[in-house]
Amino acid sequence: MVEYRTHMKIIGDILSTTRDELRDEDGATVTYLIRKANISHSRISRILKTLVSQGLLEQVDVQGSNKYRISQSGREFLQAYYTFTTFADNFGLTI
Amino acid sequence: MEFLLENILNLVGFLVGLAIGIMSIIGFRNTGSPTLFRLTIAFFSISIGFFVIWAGYMVEDFVIKSGNIERWIQTLGIVIQTVGYFFIAFSHSIKSFFPKSKYFRTVGIFPLFLVSSVQIEHIFRSVSFILLAYGAIETILSYFENKNKGAISVAVGLALLALGEFLGWYSFVFPESILYSVSMIIKIGGLIALFIPVSKIPLTKIKFDDSLE
Repeated sequence: MVEYRTHMKIIGDILSTTRDELRDEDGATVTYLIRKANISHSRISRILKTLVSQGLLEQVDVQGSNKYRISQSGREFLQAYYTFTTFADNFGLTI
Repeated sequence: MEFLLENILNLVGFLVGLAIGIMSIIGFRNTGSPTLFRLTIAFFSISIGFFVIWAGYMVEDFVIKSGNIERWIQTLGIVIQTVGYFFIAFSHSIKSFFPKSKYFRTVGIFPLFLVSSVQIEHIFRSVSFILLAYGAIETILSYFENKNKGAISVAVGLALLALGEFLGWYSFVFPESILYSVSMIIKIGGLIALFIPVSKIPLTKIKFDDSLE
């Protein structure tokens, strides 16, 4: 069955990928995030732009390619996201 | 006895609604989630609704001393609570059940101007019952998908509130019976069940980030 993901869930997936699944301290490439978050290039570009402008992700230039790593604000947001996902789950809702 | 139960119910309702409302608004401010915004409106409405009725009883008991709460205050409190129950149900996509035509929506509101405040109270009690029953069913269905045990407690809480609302409405048929007291005890149980899973959410680790607002 196809699972519907909210915008918030996609953001949570992107942030948790950059926090938990990266051994590379330089950050994740867009291609890696597309594969992990399972969304189109155009959509993830918009989301990444927003997350960088909000200070949740940091954009770094590594050998000519853009990479993204989670910021301290992003870590705090992710913690709040998990807490309130549980809270909303209790009401049978998705944040 | 009824007066005491009514006071306990309204105080518990006010406090539980306020606590869950504050939790929801903290979540909304931290994440910007529209679901948490709807829950904020829902639980602040429920809290205000219970507070209005409690304040009505207090004013009647210490100031007016007529022996009966002003009917319009009770009705106002119930209407505000119904708004809260609507937003809980609305969060479960209840909007798809509403008629899309402007004409039907206008006609749906019109009869409210033709009935007395007692009848309005009955109408809103029955609307509350439907919204709470819908919320309880949707919450228990979500439990079957996610297996989140907290959802059982919330579903039981909403179901008990629905049952209490139904018995409260039905007690008008048998005014001297024990039904109204039973309905209040059931509603107090429902509010406690609603609060149990929420009380287990750790809020201490959450830190406000001004740049997210």
